[in-house]
Amino acid sequence: MNAIQINGLTRRFGSFTAVDNLSFNVAKGSIFGFLGPNGSGKSTCIRMLCGLLAPTSGTATVNGYDIVRESEQVKMSIGYMSQAFSLYRDLSVDENLTFFGRVYGLKGDALKKAKEEIVGLVGIGAYMDRRSGELSGGWKQRLALAAALIHGPELVFLDEPTAGIDPVARRDLWDLLFELAGKGKTLFVTTHYMDEAERCSEIGYIYNSKLMVRGTPDELKALPDVSPAGTKRISIGTHTPAASLAALRHQPFTLDATLVESEIHLMTQNETLDEDVLRTMADAGAPGHDPRPIAPSLEDVFVTLTRRLAKQ
Amino acid sequence: MNAFNGMWAVAAKELLHLKRDPATLVIALLIPVIQLTIFGFAIDFDVRHISTVIVDLDRSTESRSYVDSLRTTDYLQIKRYLTSPEEAEDAMRRGDARVAVIIPPDFGRRAALTSGATPSAAAHGPAQVRVLIDGSDNQVAIRARMAFLRPAVDPTLPEARINMLYNPDMKTTTFMIPGLIGVILQLVTVALTSFSLVREREQGTLEQLMVSPIGRLGLMVGKVIPYALIGLVEVVSVLIMGRIVFDVHVAGSVALLILLSIPFIIAALSLGLLISTVAQNQAQALQLTLLITMPSILMSGFMFPLDTMPGPLYMVSMAIPVTYFMQILRGVVVRGAGFYDLWPSVLALIVISTILLTVSTMRFRKTLA
Repeated sequence: MNAIQINGLTRRFGSFTAVDNLSFNVAKGSIFGFLGPNGSGKSTCIRMLCGLLAPTSGTATVNGYDIVRESEQVKMSIGYMSQAFSLYRDLSVDENLTFFGRVYGLKGDALKKAKEEIVGLVGIGAYMDRRSGELSGGWKQRLALAAALIHGPELVFLDEPTAGIDPVARRDLWDLLFELAGKGKTLFVTTHYMDEAERCSEIGYIYNSKLMVRGTPDELKALPDVSPAGTKRISIGTHTPAASLAALRHQPFTLDATLVESEIHLMTQNETLDEDVLRTMADAGAPGHDPRPIAPSLEDVFVTLTRRLAKQ
Repeated sequence: MNAFNGMWAVAAKELLHLKRDPATLVIALLIPVIQLTIFGFAIDFDVRHISTVIVDLDRSTESRSYVDSLRTTDYLQIKRYLTSPEEAEDAMRRGDARVAVIIPPDFGRRAALTSGATPSAAAHGPAQVRVLIDGSDNQVAIRARMAFLRPAVDPTLPEARINMLYNPDMKTTTFMIPGLIGVILQLVTVALTSFSLVREREQGTLEQLMVSPIGRLGLMVGKVIPYALIGLVEVVSVLIMGRIVFDVHVAGSVALLILLSIPFIIAALSLGLLISTVAQNQAQALQLTLLITMPSILMSGFMFPLDTMPGPLYMVSMAIPVTYFMQILRGVVVRGAGFYDLWPSVLALIVISTILLTVSTMRFRKTLA
């Protein structure tokens, strides 16, 4: 059973094609990570799926409802949390939840019960009478999530939900998302954070308005485009990361080099010897140690794919 | 799922916004009262105490009693006595005096002859005075002339027995204060709603509303309801002020007037909503509000009668809500008109409100795409 089915979805603005012939499904109960550079068409796609924007061509169903013909049913059955805080800052947490509950047709005991449930889930009970504008970034996002969930939607769209909040709040929010997924809710998340992408059960990568790849994180890392035949990735420890990276970046054997914590991740030809790499670094006065083979990270996946596509 | 979905939720939310921001609420309620007081005193065509100089070349009992009679009219205020007509002209040119009364040397004699009823009186002609009036401000000039009017005696004309209805004292305030109430209410109510949707757009809350099943009319009408309540409170407060400060009594039914204010308030609030769907930010909303409300002050019949307006302007004035409210206000307050006298204006306001709400709702859908 799919929460979302997209079939040839296209949206043009004048001569510009923002979303080009997108087709994919999102399984019920999954955490779907929707990734891609800024301006690649993520937001336009979400706006169409939420029933805000009519597609130029193609069809899609959300929770079984057609996004064009049944946009009101779509709206009733989804939650939406935008990257910018979009609740009323001068109203209290309680008042915001009450308002959105009523907009979705909840009233009386049903509204009270829905609020209690969601407040228990996101743990915002202590702040019910606080004006939402006075909350910290992390609590604001939790409130926004609570407002998006107040009517018990089966599917929630989260547009960069963790942009600009601190690491602890980010971890807490993801714990919440896992809890929701555990309850069978489908989460459609956009993010630029690779560690968040790793947590998704499935990832779709959109570039220049087109869906490039789709699969689980492990499937993506195993893509032939990411690790072409005859190449390997090694990690090299170093005490002078910046100088080491500079020394390696422009070597003939370097296909890609980047810094992860205090290690250099180097993509190179299979026949390149570790000793040659270490010698190059030592000659540049930035010695490395303990080279070991590694699998590509998700970041490697997206950087490699994006660079390849940009060259084409 | 209908177009009015979420209306009461929005109305309750708007009331909360007002509660959280008492300063705005107080300003919204005080502005009409303050403006009415200031404008009410400033816009007064009943010019009185026009500065006047007298040149009495006769110095008789008759000339002195004539000057006294001018003084009692209240139109003129006698500043000084001068000795020659030339001095009077100088005073006029300097602006020291607006009116100069020059009484010729034979004034007393002629006056005595006329009142003495001698047969030869007509032959000498009646007593005459020369009056100079500064015509540069015509309001002042027209008033000054009234001090010197006397009934024309022409036996061939039928006697016209004029019966001045509704405003027998010809007071400007009786006519202007009701109009002023309309103009001020329009400015405040249009501004109230023109900001509300724009603020949601600026704060990003509109996006959250758009993904919800809220009805477009629910949002629009829900926003209008609490502001309509404020508008009604404003109507009552300016009526009370008009009575206390300017002694303007409502000749007709106050309850009817308040009832008939509702279609106007809704029309004005809908106009504000339309501005809201056009403006991208609050500064634009303010400018558009002024752009629309300022000309309507001149074209609503507030200052100049609609009858004298050239054709195209008349058409425009017929599209302005405050034009009809002006007629309702003056009808009820001055003439004591009832609902059956005023229903065409009420109908016009309902039509205008419907059109404005429909257009704003349709425009609002466009802004989603």
